[in-house]
Amino acid sequence: MKNVDMKMHVKGQSVFIDDIKAPIGLLNAALFTSPVAKGRIKNIDISAAQKSEGVAMVITHKDIPGKNQIGHMIADQPLLAFDEIEYIGQPIAIVVADTRKNAKKACQLIKVDIEKLEPVFEPREAYQKGLIHAQKRVLVNGNIEEAFKKSKYIASGRIDSGGQEHFYFETQRALAIPKEADTIKVCASCQSPGAFQHHIAEVLDIPMHKVELEIRRLGGGFGGKESTAVWVVAAALAAKLLNRPVKLVISRNEDIATTGKRHPYSYDYKIGLDENGKILAFEVFLYQQAGGCADISPAVLGRSFLHTSGSYCIPNVKITAVSCKTNIPPNNAFRGFGVPQGTFIIESALFHASEIMGKNIIELKKINLLKDGDFLPYGMQLKKTNAVRCWETLDEKVNIKKRIEAVEEFNKNNQTKKRGISVIPVCFGISFAQSTLNQASALVNIYIDGSVSVSTGAVEMGQGVNTKILSVAANTLGIQKEKVRVDTTNTSRIPNASPTSASTGADLNGMATKFACEELLTRLKKLIAKKTNFFDLDKIRIKDGIVYLCGAKLDYTWEELILDAYNERTDLSCHSFYATPAIYYDRVKERGRPFAYYSYGTSLTEVEVDILRGVYEIVSIDVVHDVGKSLSPEIDKGQIEGAVIQSIGWTTIEQLRYAPDGKMLSSANSYKIPDIKFVPKNFNVMLLENSENPYAVCNSKAIGEPPFIHGLGAYFAILDVLRKIRKDKPLPSLPLTPEKVFMYIYE
Amino acid sequence: MIRFILNNKIIETHKPDGMILLDFIREEEGLTGTKEACREGECGACTVLIGRLNNEKMEYKTIASCITPIGSLKNCHIVTVEGLDTGDFTLVQKLIIDNSASQCGYCTPGIVLSMTGFCFMSEEISYDAIIDALDGNICRCTGYASIRNAGRSLIDNLKANDYEKTAKKDRLQKLIEMNIIPSYFAEIPEKLKKIGNRSNINISDETVIVAGATDLFVQKPEALENQKLYFMSERKDLEYIKEENGNILVGGAVAIEDFRKSQVIKKHYPELEDYLLLHSSTILRNTATLSGNIVNASPIGDITIILLALSARLVIENRHGNIRKIELSKFYISYKKYDLEPCEIIREIEIPICSKNEQFNFEKVSNRKILDIASVNSAALIKLSDKKNIEKLRISAGGVAPIPLLLSGLEKFIGKELSAKLIQEIAEYCMQSVTPIDDIRGSAKYKKILLKQLIIAHFNKINTVQK
Repeated sequence: MKNVDMKMHVKGQSVFIDDIKAPIGLLNAALFTSPVAKGRIKNIDISAAQKSEGVAMVITHKDIPGKNQIGHMIADQPLLAFDEIEYIGQPIAIVVADTRKNAKKACQLIKVDIEKLEPVFEPREAYQKGLIHAQKRVLVNGNIEEAFKKSKYIASGRIDSGGQEHFYFETQRALAIPKEADTIKVCASCQSPGAFQHHIAEVLDIPMHKVELEIRRLGGGFGGKESTAVWVVAAALAAKLLNRPVKLVISRNEDIATTGKRHPYSYDYKIGLDENGKILAFEVFLYQQAGGCADISPAVLGRSFLHTSGSYCIPNVKITAVSCKTNIPPNNAFRGFGVPQGTFIIESALFHASEIMGKNIIELKKINLLKDGDFLPYGMQLKKTNAVRCWETLDEKVNIKKRIEAVEEFNKNNQTKKRGISVIPVCFGISFAQSTLNQASALVNIYIDGSVSVSTGAVEMGQGVNTKILSVAANTLGIQKEKVRVDTTNTSRIPNASPTSASTGADLNGMATKFACEELLTRLKKLIAKKTNFFDLDKIRIKDGIVYLCGAKLDYTWEELILDAYNERTDLSCHSFYATPAIYYDRVKERGRPFAYYSYGTSLTEVEVDILRGVYEIVSIDVVHDVGKSLSPEIDKGQIEGAVIQSIGWTTIEQLRYAPDGKMLSSANSYKIPDIKFVPKNFNVMLLENSENPYAVCNSKAIGEPPFIHGLGAYFAILDVLRKIRKDKPLPSLPLTPEKVFMYIYE
Repeated sequence: MIRFILNNKIIETHKPDGMILLDFIREEEGLTGTKEACREGECGACTVLIGRLNNEKMEYKTIASCITPIGSLKNCHIVTVEGLDTGDFTLVQKLIIDNSASQCGYCTPGIVLSMTGFCFMSEEISYDAIIDALDGNICRCTGYASIRNAGRSLIDNLKANDYEKTAKKDRLQKLIEMNIIPSYFAEIPEKLKKIGNRSNINISDETVIVAGATDLFVQKPEALENQKLYFMSERKDLEYIKEENGNILVGGAVAIEDFRKSQVIKKHYPELEDYLLLHSSTILRNTATLSGNIVNASPIGDITIILLALSARLVIENRHGNIRKIELSKFYISYKKYDLEPCEIIREIEIPICSKNEQFNFEKVSNRKILDIASVNSAALIKLSDKKNIEKLRISAGGVAPIPLLLSGLEKFIGKELSAKLIQEIAEYCMQSVTPIDDIRGSAKYKKILLKQLIIAHFNKINTVQK
């Protein structure tokens, strides 16, 4: 089933936050943020701004009725700074005016006196100074010292991976409308209905039942709207204080300069292999560049930490991870949530080891792939492992050996252009690593005309979760899809919803929807039984909106059934709840079963590097990905294609640049994400056939993030070329921009 | 008063010339299908169609509404996604749905407009051409594979309907028949004739001259909103590209895309058609002008670098219509400073047609290949004798100096026989004669060595061509 929203998207009829018709008396807000990366506020002078044209109010920390705190995991993030400044772009005041232009103009009149302190921008330096968020994490499995002693080949070194701007098309924004009796309705572009509602309630000092947070859809999220509540809460606060509707929309360059990004990491690694190339030991230290507040960084780090063995069986490991406090905007979730970084380090270490061993990296990967019965470093034993199946399916499709030979042949015949190749296996754990969050609820209402409305805690951001939910509901009830509508995500209908992230949106909310529909169906079947005197409920079916008994079609439609049910006073509304079973994790022992299942895949990426100019193009990508029994092959394929290209952006051309004082230099005109011509002509995506997954709704598998890992292939394919040119340098850091490629060759 | 037609509605507004079209569409008219995502013309979410009446025929092209001042759109037909409503889905909309070429949907209206606009603009109905037409529409969700498929389907449909063979004058009707545009388009020319208004063209010292606005309105839209503006786009007399006495003459109002596609250019400098795809995107090239690129004076401007190597001259007109001529290579004084008085405009650009043995090459390296500013760009005009001696050598380089640079001191290589060693010497010389700085486009060191490589690339390409 195709994404139902497309019918509105193509006509420009889909309503995003800034498209909502302006309520009467609407005001616009803008944020005044810190120009200094580290310091202490001495004085904030808002007098000139208050007198500026059209200004209704200039809000500072003093005006906050409740807690001045929006920290997602740790209470270290005030909504409006009042003392310590931790990064450039940290909000200090909210200016509310008649128009956005006037609000911005007034921002320029705010004078803030900040005592400058020495900022820290390097994660390793922060760690040395003891500046970390939460605790250092250490996971040890097996006997690492012994294993290194037994290793025939050992590779070690240091490498880094870079950040990434989300560049969701709809920037951070919200519209807040005060209602009667101290209540407030907030329409926002955010991924965390429950958590953001909670932040609003705390800052406004009202109970959560007075906050209605509503989300129709996001113009892209990718994790960037999951944890940092600044813009949503700021709009709500302004609306509350002024008792007027307030909209806050930030510009593209404000968004790039002040919002969190994918975490850059620095790594120390050491890997040991036996004489056949089997990995015996892996030791890694992860330094995460977290930014000025903890935000969601410790959780992201946790996922990197749990994925540093990638798709490989590694019997002996020692993983150490720290979230380093640096003076840049707090980094946050971004598609993959630390897994791409965790996978990058094992892929890099193995690449390095292959050079030392003199064995082809692709062969080395294959012999180390995870199989059923293998244990992951945190003690979870694998079942239904599809790592090898994905690899072999890809091999059947593209013939990896022939592709390697073709590249060698090309390189023999070309002097100024060289090709490189890489195969990337994917193993991605599904579930929130924080077990609590693996819960969801759904509310399914059937109206007397037979139409059905479904509400869940899932947030639609283009990933098609609402279409999948719609499909689950229609299939479970046995009615046409046109009869079902997925309503907005609204905290008054669905309380305490977990964020839509960790690729779990459809898994959790789809399952809750299925449960609710099954319960309704049982109620309806009981009614049919009563009416027909046929009491074997298993043999009563509804299909395409018609009732069947033992396979025989009755002259009884869904609409008639529903009307009868209403007249018989049947409850046609059902709320249902789902919590992923049998997952747990012990943070002290660093052992457990944190994930319900794993998503697998394998891809082959081929690139061509122009040696003369240092530029490159992606020649082809072939992907095999395991999506279980897809709820929507069209949507899943789109998710894979989108994730792969977004990831190749991260591994190649997307580079964030900062001035020495910590100011973001990148902006819309210099931070370039992939365009239509960047995408390889040969881009083939294949869904693994006959894959069953009993651990998620209707045998499907999560899809949002796992295919992001394939994008590492672009980095390693370019690296393949670079290392053939010279090996007298350490492995270059990710991303491999044209400049970096050029300087690797020529410097 | 500004008059134009927005979709099927005649607009008369007293809003200032400098008001941004996107704001007008969304805030004044409440048409929210057109989206704002960057406000710099970098993403294409705000793409709309602009139609102009030219010789009784409508000519449509796509533009970025987020950087277009409404004053430049007098007498135009502006089409937003709402204006494509045929009651049903248009063919383009249907193909986007069929191919699942939309995810979050924020960029989708822009893509619908670019694909629709392609049907009007492109001479060539091919897959490559529609990809070119989409080069300014960024999408963060789909990974483009599905968008390409939708484009391919559109090409198939156009071909199946013999669109290519349809006479230009009948194409609009054909697009209506194919359900690509609504039928009211047919009545637009008559309507436009009726609303006709011309502004009084005169320049004073305070007037800001707008020659495309694709950079000007990115840099300081607020400051320009209530400024007195003079739009080069109203100088219909300067929209020519012609050949005269061994020169190509390009009027000061010519858009880069029109230049790229012109027959004169295709005849004398066919390679420019591809090189200029690197300049920017379709929606920007449709409004950006050569003269605008020149006075923008970016040290890295692609047009400037190309024209420097081609020995272009500028014909400059003052407000009284008096004319003077200057070599482009003498036009730039220092960073963003050049020889142009406040009331002067570039009336014409004169490009000498190169002789048979002269060869031209352009090199550009940017972080992203398309729609990105170069780290270094360079153009070369080289003439070799039959014996492969260098007879003429002109090399320009961008990103390596405060101004678009024409490299000096190359005379010493004239008369020498071309060899690998000589190419190295020239490249080395060029590298040593520039002093780039570290900036967002790359480190100084990178740019220096890169220039050297690009000089080598010039000679490699020329040698290949000669074979």
